[in-house]
Amino acid sequence: MAVAGCTRLGSPSIATAQPFFEPPAHDGPVAAGSRLSVLWLGHATMLIQMDDKWILTDPFLVDTMGQIQRRVSPVGLDAKRLPALDAVLISHMHPDHLSLGSLERIERKVRRLFVPEGGLVYVTDFAFDARELRTWRSFEESGLRITAVPVDHVGGRYGIDSAWMTKSFTGYVVEYHGLSVFFGGDTAYDRRDFQRTRVLFPHLDLALLPIAPMHPRAHMRTLHMDPDEALDALSDLGARTMIPMHFDTLVAGTDAPGEARELLALQARARGMSDRVDLLRIGERRVVIPAPK
Amino acid sequence: MCSSAVDLTGTPLFVHSLVPFHHRGVAAAVALSLSLGAPVARGDDEVTEPAVRPTALWLVAQLAPSPEIAYGNTVFRFGLRWQLTPLLYSFGIHRRLSPWRVAIVEPLVRQSGSVELFLSPEYFVRGPTFWDGWLWRAGVRTYLPLIERGDYLSASLGASCYDFAGRAGASFEIGAYVLFGIVGAQITWSPRSGPAQTIATLRLRYF
Repeated sequence: MAVAGCTRLGSPSIATAQPFFEPPAHDGPVAAGSRLSVLWLGHATMLIQMDDKWILTDPFLVDTMGQIQRRVSPVGLDAKRLPALDAVLISHMHPDHLSLGSLERIERKVRRLFVPEGGLVYVTDFAFDARELRTWRSFEESGLRITAVPVDHVGGRYGIDSAWMTKSFTGYVVEYHGLSVFFGGDTAYDRRDFQRTRVLFPHLDLALLPIAPMHPRAHMRTLHMDPDEALDALSDLGARTMIPMHFDTLVAGTDAPGEARELLALQARARGMSDRVDLLRIGERRVVIPAPK
Repeated sequence: MCSSAVDLTGTPLFVHSLVPFHHRGVAAAVALSLSLGAPVARGDDEVTEPAVRPTALWLVAQLAPSPEIAYGNTVFRFGLRWQLTPLLYSFGIHRRLSPWRVAIVEPLVRQSGSVELFLSPEYFVRGPTFWDGWLWRAGVRTYLPLIERGDYLSASLGASCYDFAGRAGASFEIGAYVLFGIVGAQITWSPRSGPAQTIATLRLRYF
C-alpha cells in the first residue's frame, strides 16, 4: 500500500504527535496505484480519488474563516495543485464549509458543485454548475453517483436565516465503480440517521467523520460529534474504514490543541477499532484501496 | 456523456421538476417578483427559493441604529440612522434563483452585488423639540463585491433625496463593508449646504 506519511492508530508515534504542523511535502494529490485515496487538506476538506474521478469536500482553502478566525494549520495542498474536480460537495452553509473565497480559487477546475436543500442561495453566481440535492436524492453522471444522506446539524449562515433554512445541511455518499465513500460534513451524533444510511449503503468502504469540537459538551453535543460518538457512527454506518476530520484547523469550542486527535486514538484502541481508523495529518494522503497489481 | 438526475427509485428528477417556490413571508414579494418576470428556476433539477420571513430576531436587528456624525454650518452633530430596504435586485445571487427581495435581504444576497431602494430615517440631536431632529431619506444604492464575493469586502455607491427640517436636497454616498456586510463605513455628502451636509456613518447592519 502506498501511503504518504500517514499514521495508523496502532503506531507508537501517535502519543507524541504535534497537533499543528506544516503540511508534508509530497508529489501532489495523485496516489500511484490507487483505486480509492484521500488527501486531507484540513478541516472538512478532503480530496477523494475514486479511480479516475476526483471529489473535493467542503473546500476551505483560505487563511481565515470569515475574517473572524485565522486557521492554525496551513492548507494541506496548494489550490493550484488540485486536479480537475468532477464534484465538489458542500455539507452546509457555515463559512468554514462554504467558503466563497475558496471556491473562487478553484472555480475553473470545478465541473459541478452540490449543496443541500436550500443552499443555492449562498453559492453566488459561479461559472460552474451548482445544484441542490435533497435528502435521499441522487445525481448520477458517467457512473459517478452522489446521494444526499441525512445528518444532524444546523442550516443557515448568519443566524437569523436558520429560521427558514431548516434543511440546509447534509451528508453525502459517493459511489463509483463499486467504491463508496460517506462524507459526514459536520454533524451531531444521530444513530437513526447513520443506520438509515447503512440500510441503503451497506458496503461503505470509507467514512469521513467529524470528531470535534467537543467542548463545552452540553452545547456541542447538539451540533458536533466527539471522537467516541464518531466511533459509534462508524459502527452504525458499518464502513470498513474511518478517516477523522474537522479538527486541528480552527480553534473551536474550548478543546485543547490536539485533544480530539489524542482522544480518538485512545478510544479507538480501547474499543478495539484501531484497525478501522486512519488518523491523517493535514496534507497527508491515504491510499484506502490500492489498485490490483 | 450521459447525465441524469435521479432519486433513489431511479426516477429522473425532471419528472418531479415542478419548481418549488416557497411562500414568502411578505406576500408582496411574490407578487412583485412574478410581475417583474423574475426567473424562479430552470433546468431539470430542483432549486429551493429561500422562504425568507420576518422573525423576532430580524425585527430587533432592524431596530438597531447605526451611529453617525454630521457636519454642516460649522457644527458637528451626533446622529443615528436606521436603514430599510423596500426592494432589492441582486445580480450576485445564483442565476437560477429569484434576484428580488422585499424588506428581508440575506447579507450575501446584498453584498455579492445588488441594487437597492432604501429608506433611512435619521435622527440628529438638534433643535428645541424632538421632531426637529429627524431627517427622512430615500434613495438608491448599488453594492459591488470586492473580496470573497462581498463576504470579506464590498463597496457601495448611492444617491438619495432627503427632507430635513423642512428643507429638501440631494445627497451622494460611498461605502465600504466587511464581516459579511455587517460592519461598514459610509460617507454621505450633499451639494447643498445645511446642518447635515457631510455625514460619516458607522454602518451596522445585520440582515
